[in-house]
Amino acid sequence: MIAPDWFREDRLPHIYCTGCGNGTIINCTLAAVEEMGWKREETVFVSGIGCSSRAPGYILTDSLHTTHGRALAFATGVKMARPDLHVVVFTGDGDLAAIGGNHFIHACRRNVDMTVVCMNNHIYGMTGGQGSPTTPPGAISSTTPYGATEPAFDLAELAVAAGANYVARWTSYHVKELTKAILTGMQTPGLAFIEARTQCPTNYGRHNKLRSVSAMIEHLRSHAILIQKHDRLVAEGKPVPEGSFTVGEFVRRNRPAMGVQR
Amino acid sequence: MKLVIDESRCKGCNLCVLVCPYSIFREGTQLNSRGIVTPVLDRPERCTNCRLQALYGRMLCGVCHMICPDQAISWVEEKPFEPHKVEVEF
Ligand SMILES: Cc1ncc(C[n+]2csc(CCOP(=O)(O)OP(=O)(O)O)c2C)c(N)n1
Ligand code: SF4
Ligand code: SF4
Ligand code: SF4
Ligand SMILES: [Mg+2]
Repeated sequence: MIAPDWFREDRLPHIYCTGCGNGTIINCTLAAVEEMGWKREETVFVSGIGCSSRAPGYILTDSLHTTHGRALAFATGVKMARPDLHVVVFTGDGDLAAIGGNHFIHACRRNVDMTVVCMNNHIYGMTGGQGSPTTPPGAISSTTPYGATEPAFDLAELAVAAGANYVARWTSYHVKELTKAILTGMQTPGLAFIEARTQCPTNYGRHNKLRSVSAMIEHLRSHAILIQKHDRLVAEGKPVPEGSFTVGEFVRRNRPAMGVQR
Repeated sequence: MKLVIDESRCKGCNLCVLVCPYSIFREGTQLNSRGIVTPVLDRPERCTNCRLQALYGRMLCGVCHMICPDQAISWVEEKPFEPHKVEVEF
């Protein structure tokens, strides 16, 4: 196992379903934390509500498992009161972009110095698979039984537009790249937003012709396209593959940030 | 170094089977005492990390244990005088 000093081994195995990608994203985040050389007593994990938001419960540091959607509000409070602490937020697509949408854009605008890892499984996993703001058009969920008809949020683009200093997107298949992105985000002062697209075999895959865990991971792998490749295709006037999404580093910049320790 | 799967944690998702470049993990066929079919290891001594971790002093490859969502994969030191298997691939 990765980062044995950071896991609450007495709490393992965790409650996640077989093949749920959330466990992989915890691995990648803790690998990055280890590489940063942070101390446990100086690191705080904050989350809202959802399967993804249960992550801090498996980590051996102080943490806040807050109310649905409010992880970033609590995290902002922690960081402003104690800028000496390293703050890492685990959140889900529902937690971050639905009920917590306003906290998301304003935390990015304020550029609060913390790292936000969003486990985007395109669904409300915990409550039985209701559609979320990232459910792709056409996808079946328990609230879109005939296929989602609304356009979806692109969380990474949203964070860029709202002002975060570092934004990247990878998937639970791209473990090395994801770890590296989280690490770079932690090293960048200001808000670092890392979207990790992940599989929810139980409540998403099962209803969307991706029955097995490997089918879900294969879907993520084959639909991810590097930003540079995407931009090249667009510049050359060639079609972008249908259903693909961009991965890579969206932005790394130096806007004024809040909560950075001097 | 020896590759081991922690039977008390593995949930049998077979993500390790999917990612190992040497196909060391194979889908299992037998239920264990927890009612889970865990993967079986095919000549794990071929694993880069088993062979070279001690020499390089750091983790090599390691994608299986990064992707394992259940923290079930690790490497343990062989006991003193425990016989080592060596597999040479050409
Ligand atoms: C104020 C409030 N509203 C609704 C809920 C019910 N609820 C719990 S988790 C959840 C959705 C979580 O979705 P997401 O953040 O994507 O997490 P996932 O389970 O998919 O990881 C909802 C709506 C709640 N707990 N609190
Ligand atoms: S419901 Fe989905 S997100 Fe929640 S633990 Fe199961 S697979 Fe993971
Ligand atoms: S470390 Fe790499 S080579 Fe070794 S078992 Fe894991 S995936 Fe296979
Ligand atoms: S990835 Fe981990 S949990 Fe999944 S089958 Fe392999 S050892 Fe078991
Ligand atoms: Mg979700």
